[in-house]
Amino acid sequence: MDKELTIWLLIFAVGAVTYTARVSFIALFARREMPPLLARALKHVPVAMVTAIVVPAVVFMTPGELRLDPGNAKLIAALVGGAVAWWRQSAVLTIAVGMIVLWSLRYAIG
Amino acid sequence: MRAHFSRPAFFEGARDIAPMLIGIVPFGIVCGIGAITAGASPLAALAMSMIMFSGAAQIIAVQLLAAGAPFAVILLSCLVVSLRLVMYSAAMAPYLRPLDHRWRALLSFVLTDQAFAGTLQRFQTSDDLRANASYFLGSGALLWVIWQFATLAGILAGQVIPASWQLEFVVPLCFIAVLVPLLRDRVSILVFTVTTIAVIALDAIPLRLSMLCGGLLGIAAGVLGDKGAGKRG
Repeated sequence: MDKELTIWLLIFAVGAVTYTARVSFIALFARREMPPLLARALKHVPVAMVTAIVVPAVVFMTPGELRLDPGNAKLIAALVGGAVAWWRQSAVLTIAVGMIVLWSLRYAIG
Repeated sequence: MRAHFSRPAFFEGARDIAPMLIGIVPFGIVCGIGAITAGASPLAALAMSMIMFSGAAQIIAVQLLAAGAPFAVILLSCLVVSLRLVMYSAAMAPYLRPLDHRWRALLSFVLTDQAFAGTLQRFQTSDDLRANASYFLGSGALLWVIWQFATLAGILAGQVIPASWQLEFVVPLCFIAVLVPLLRDRVSILVFTVTTIAVIALDAIPLRLSMLCGGLLGIAAGVLGDKGAGKRG
């Protein structure tokens, strides 16, 4: 399938998903209580899904090439970014420091 | 509809949410950059922000798109990240129940992490539903508008800045800034550890399902971890 068409279909399909999630208890099941197991699971969605997004983008130098050594500039940049985020809860500072580390290492390694 | 609208409360909501814009602007820029580097056209990149209106879902969609994941896997992964919105929906529902369905449909569209965090207290402390609904709408509307401008800035940056700058790495860095403050307790660290190991170990499974499976295993570990912590305490 044409990539641009796929992206447009995805926009509307995911849009329907996010809207359904938002409207769920406000209108669709307005008279129901949330099942307790669902409520317990939902608490962990942010940490689990954000980790699932971040880790592959950091530990694989190229698709399928796992690199957990200092030769992986993305890994070092992410760890330094993580330390910055721990110290100051600022997205702007985390991004700025992380990108500077990435560029410096790339330049140094060549 | 008009019977419920209060103009002063609408603007009050917009004004009170303004401090939260500092957090969403970089994230919106990142979403614009991510969409462009994944190969979306500028119009499609903007439509993502207008229609999906969810940073986490947009990012997971573009990451998986760039990795060549099938349509159904992308959709399912977006569904899992959107479950957090179900939690907000359930928390807001009792307050919004007396509103007519058009108001509830409209307010649902602008329900986000920030709008939820910024307005819940108002619903808990004030009984004036007409003003509260307009306040919520004002907060949500301003967040939506700013989200579009931030995305637009990212779209421009993504087109102008050369690929050798590896601008796509801004995406994980932005999420690291979100993730680190969440790792406050033992169970969250357990969820992080299990997800990390699972997503690396499962990388080779077909259809780019590793992100979704890793995330689900992490959530399961969290539910079990809560049980263990409950027994001890």
